[in-house]
Formats: sequence, C-alpha cells, structure tokens
Amino acid sequence: MQHSKPGISSLGWLWWWLRQVTGDAAFENYLRARQKQLAGPQALACHAKGAACAPAMSDQQFYLDMLARKYSGVSRCC
Amino acid sequence: MLWGGISLLGAVALATIAFSRGEPLNGTWFVVAAACTYLVAFRFYSAFVAAKVLALDNTRATPAERLEDGRDFVPTNKWVVFGHHFAAIAGPGPLVGPTLAAQFGYLPGTLWLIVGAVLGGCVQDFVILFFSMRRDAKSLGQMAREEIGKRGGMIALLAVLAIMIILLAAVALVVVNALKDSPWGAFTLALTIPIAMLIGVYLRFWRPGRVLEASVLGFALFLLAVWAGQWVSVSPQWAPVFTLSGQGLAIAVIVYGFMASALPVWLLLAPRDYLSAFIKIGVVLALAAGILWVRPVMHMPALTRFVDGSGPVFAGTIFPFCFITIACGAISGFHSLISSGTTPKLLTREGHARMVGYGSMLMESFVGIMAMVAACALEPGVYFAINSPAGVVGQTAEAATATIRGWGFPVDAATMDALARQVGEQTLLNRVGGAPSLAVGMAGIFNSVIGGERLLSLWYHFAIMFEALFILTVLDAGTRVGRFMVQELLGYVWEPLGRRGWYPSILLTSGMIVAAWGYFLYQGVMDPLGGINSLWPLFGIANQLLAAVALVVATTILFKMGRLKLVWVTLVPMAWLVTVTMTASYQKIFHEHPRIGFLAQARMLSEQVAAGAVPAERISAVSQQIFNARLDAIVTGIFALLVLLLLIEAAGEWYAILARKKEIVLRETPYVRTQYAEGD
Repeated sequence: MQHSKPGISSLGWLWWWLRQVTGDAAFENYLRARQKQLAGPQALACHAKGAACAPAMSDQQFYLDMLARKYSGVSRCC
Repeated sequence: MLWGGISLLGAVALATIAFSRGEPLNGTWFVVAAACTYLVAFRFYSAFVAAKVLALDNTRATPAERLEDGRDFVPTNKWVVFGHHFAAIAGPGPLVGPTLAAQFGYLPGTLWLIVGAVLGGCVQDFVILFFSMRRDAKSLGQMAREEIGKRGGMIALLAVLAIMIILLAAVALVVVNALKDSPWGAFTLALTIPIAMLIGVYLRFWRPGRVLEASVLGFALFLLAVWAGQWVSVSPQWAPVFTLSGQGLAIAVIVYGFMASALPVWLLLAPRDYLSAFIKIGVVLALAAGILWVRPVMHMPALTRFVDGSGPVFAGTIFPFCFITIACGAISGFHSLISSGTTPKLLTREGHARMVGYGSMLMESFVGIMAMVAACALEPGVYFAINSPAGVVGQTAEAATATIRGWGFPVDAATMDALARQVGEQTLLNRVGGAPSLAVGMAGIFNSVIGGERLLSLWYHFAIMFEALFILTVLDAGTRVGRFMVQELLGYVWEPLGRRGWYPSILLTSGMIVAAWGYFLYQGVMDPLGGINSLWPLFGIANQLLAAVALVVATTILFKMGRLKLVWVTLVPMAWLVTVTMTASYQKIFHEHPRIGFLAQARMLSEQVAAGAVPAERISAVSQQIFNARLDAIVTGIFALLVLLLLIEAAGEWYAILARKKEIVLRETPYVRTQYAEGD
C-alpha cells in the first residue's frame, strides 16, 4: 500500500495526516507510486512494447494535472 | 457493559432534551446526546449494514489497488480518505439549515439531525460509496443508467444540473444577506480574492504543491484582512465604498462567479478552496471545544409557536418543512455525488467504506448539532430580529421588535442597536439567511473563551468570513462543474462547444450557468419576503430529491443482489424522503397561503395589481415578482416530476426482478483477490 501509516509518535502521525489530507504530500506520493510502477510488471509491459515509458511529471506539471482532475467533477458539497 | 453505559447516557441526554420544558437546558446535553447516539449507531447499525446488507469483503481488491496509477486511483490510508471525504461533504449547509430550522425550537431540528443522519444520510453515503467502489468508481449517473435504464441516467444528470443552479443561488443569497450594508464584511471578503490569487501564484510558480505552507500564509493574511476591516468600517472615505446594497453585492457575486469559472483553476478556485478547507476544519474543532468549555444555556424553547407554519424565517409547517430545511447534516443527496466521485478511487480496503462513508456523515451531522446549539443559545427575540425579513416584521427597528415582542419573545430596538454596535455592524435587523445569527451565536461562544466583550466584533466577522469563504468555495467549484455539464450537453449540438479548453465555449457556458443561478439570486435579493423563504425550500426539495434518486439506485441494486429481506435499509429512508419532498413540492406550488404557495403568491399579487392597489412605480417590480413566483412553481414541479419518473422507472425494474420477468444483471466488476497482506 502506498500511503501506509508510518510508525511514529502521535504528533508525527498528525503532521503526516495533515500533509496527506491537504495534498501537501501528493507529489511525493506520485513519485513513490511511479517508482513502484517502474519496478513492477507494468514497466516490463511498457518496455516489451518497445515504447519508452512516459517521463515523470515535474512538480509544477503534477500540481496543474492534480487541480485539473480535482476540479473537473463535483469536489465540494453544500 | 461499555456500550450499555454509552447507550444509557445517550438515552438520558436525549430524554433531557426532549422533555425539558421551561427550565434552563445546557448545550452540553446536545453534544452528549449526539455523540452517544453516533457511537452506538456506528458500532452496531453501520456494522449490520456492512456485514449483512452489503457484505463488505476485505479480501477483494478495490479499484484503488487494481487500477492504481498514482494520480486518480491511489490506495490511501483510511484516516486520510476520511479527512478528504469529510472536507468534501461538509459545506455551509449543515450550518445554515439548522440555524433556519431553529425557528421551530431546538427539538425538531435536533431530533431530525440525529435520527436523519443515523438512519438516512449515513446509510446513503455509505451504500453509494460501496456500490461505486464495486463498479470501478462509477458516478451516480452512470450507475443509474446501468442499473435502472438510460432514462434513469438522463434524469439523474438533469436533476444534478438543476439542483446545482438552485443550490448556488441559495448559498449566494446567504452571503449577500450577510454582507449587505456591512463595509467590514464586504472589505474583508473582497480582500480574500487577492489573497487567494497570491496563494495561487505561490503554489503555481514559487513552491508548486506546497499546500500547507501556502495555507498558513493565506490564513495569516486572512486574519489580517479581518482585523483591518474594523478600520475600514469607521473610515469616512472607505466605509461608503464598501457599503453595498443587496443588489450591488448580488452583481458583485455574479461577476465573481463568472471569473472563478472562466479563470484558470490554479489562480482563484484552488487556492480559495485550500484556504477554506483549512479554516473550515479549524473553526469546526474550535466551535466544538468552545461549546464544551462554555456550556451555553439554550434560550430558545423546545418548540415555538411557529410549528403551525406561520414562521417569519420561512413559512410552512414543521412537516414537511423542517425536513427539507435541514438537508445537509441529516441527509443530503449532493453527498452521493462525492461518494461516487473521488472517494471510491482512494479506498484501500472495502471495509474502510464504513468509516469513510458512514463515519464522515456522522461528523457532518455533529457540525449541524453545533450550529443548532450556537443558534439556540441566542435570545429568541434576537434570533428572530436578525432572521425575519422586513416584509414580515416591519421596516423599522421599532416596528420589527414590537412585532417580535407580540409573539412572546422579548427584544427591543435599543438591544438590537447595541448588539449591532458591539459586533461592528450598522444593523443586524433583516439579515435573513442564517449566517449572521449563527455568527452572533458563534462569536458569543468564542468570546466567552478568549477576549471577552471587546473582541466580539472580531469574532463576529471572523465567523461571518468563515461562512462566506465556505460558500464562495461552493460557488466557485459548483459553477465550474455546472459549466462542464453544460459543455457536455452542448457538445451534442456542436462538437467544439463540448471542448472544455476552448475559450469561446468556456466564456459562453460560464455565462450560461452564472446567468441561471444569478437570476434566482437576484430574484431572491429583490423579494420583499427576503428570498430565503422561496430559495431555501427550493434548494432543500432539490437536494432531498437527489437523495431520493440515490436511494432509488441503491434500492434497485439491493434488489438485484437478492437482499429482499434487508432492502428496507434504503427503502425506508427513500420512502420517507419521497413523502417529505412530494408533500413539500405540492405545498410550495399549490398551498393557498401566499407565503407558502408560489401560485397563491402570484395570484394575490395579480389581484392587487388588478384592483389598483399597487402604486404605478411598483407595477413593474410586482409583475416581475408574479413571474418569479410562477417560475419557482414550475421549477418545483419539474424537480418532483423528474423524481416521479425515476421512481416509476425503478418500480418497473423492481417488479421485473421480483416477478422473475427479467434476467438480473448486476454490473459489479469481477472478484479479484487483494495482494495486500492482512492488516496492511
């Protein structure tokens, strides 16, 4: 699992939770997930097709991509 | 033993609230009653729904695991998803609705908040989240189309668009009524736009994605703006600039909505959302702590004389109007859109749906309880003086307070004048919409903890800004989503109009959606009865009808799953909502009292015009009121018709299933075993 709860103090856990909930850690999570993908069977499939795997997004690109996805559907209720 | 104790404590607290008559009642009882009921409901009822009705399976891989891409589908810690989901569902509704419904007294709203959430709202959010998760995070509309039929899907889409328009108008009206003739409030709110833009630039160019530090910076600037507002409000040069009438503010909000929809999302919408979410969670926690610390005494009686339908805040009897006035906080159809949106893409385990779906809604209900406590801690005379429109109580402070005294709630013009000066406003009379009275209630609780009387004005404006930020975030995001929906529909007419990034289409569709809610907003501002009397019930009806749509979809799926003996879990709240909303719709259209029935209102005004009782200079405005009342009747009728059609469609499907006239096709994704170890 990507976003597992680290074994830290409750204050540390609160800080970790806050960063996750606010989206502050989203780019780090993305890079971690990508690294995992590149090491997994999806990367093998990607190379087998002879196509280069898409390069990772920069932090700016990722931020804009995240906003575009977040605000293209109902994201806030009444 | 432990659960027996919690149940007993909850029962004692509920009985104290229900049977207390006349003697001082402490607000802590509300917190205890709600918390104990929620704990017991979560421990037992949600466990029953999870195990017996839905049969959650932790060995089954969720979409987040199977489709993990690091962007949309991300297996996420349960408590993080809980935070995301709660931040998404909790808007201004659970604050405003209970405050308005307090006109019936504290008892009806409190009971509906607790019972409605436990048996209705939480169940809806939970089951829709689960069904969406079992279908690769499909939306409510997609599920309606697949499980009920194409017409069902189209009805759901139209219902969502319609509710969005009315919702945006209703919440915008709350902001307008809270900030009209308030230079302090208008100045502070105006400053939040450049503050949001500054955060937007910070997050886009300087420190991409560093949301926490940007939010802290934004919060500090926001506090500074609230502080600076007091100087503006007494400045001879600046106070007139920021003293806006209702119409002026409505136009400003409409222009703002258009900008937020048409500008890049990173510049205004997203940073305001971050700021709002940050303040939202902080203020909700502070209010909970404040109530426990101050333990305010309820001044509002358990039941007021207005249960008969003659209420000044909005007209209509306790049934059905209490149950549509409090939508969010008890049950809100809009939540089903969130539950079938981002959240199902994040759940790591099926079992987490219980905490996220059921648990988050319990938290929202708790926010509603706190709003009820804050509103009912006010002296009833003050509450009614703030929330009653001039068209009902009278134009002057003396006339308004005399009318309210006549109802048996002591208040006088001098008290209202002194309170207005204490909170830094010119007047608090005729501020319909719930936000100002809630802000006075919250400020009273906060200043009992920190600052005392001298900080009352700061706390009041902080509370008003908290509500306004909430609402503008809904306005931003809702207008944008509404724009996408219109673009999707227009794309069928001419393909380029369906392109989200094509600027002529952005401008056209932003203009269309803003014009739609802007019209209803302006109509509300011009309404002599304060607008809330028409718009909030319309919003409540629309929202609850959407909840009925979600529960119809859920019931259909339960029938298909073969849970015939357990289908009451969704069928009972659905039947209740259909009964409530259809009764409310019928009364809002056909009731003979002009303050309740739209057609009666149009008829009364037409007769006044025909009899020559309307001055010549007012005829144009009254003609517009007549048109608006008929339009509101048509809109209400369309809402009700849409849901009746869906219900008929679903009933046909249920009959076909029960009579075995149709092969049951359950469109769940096939079982795939999770790769996560137990406890991961």
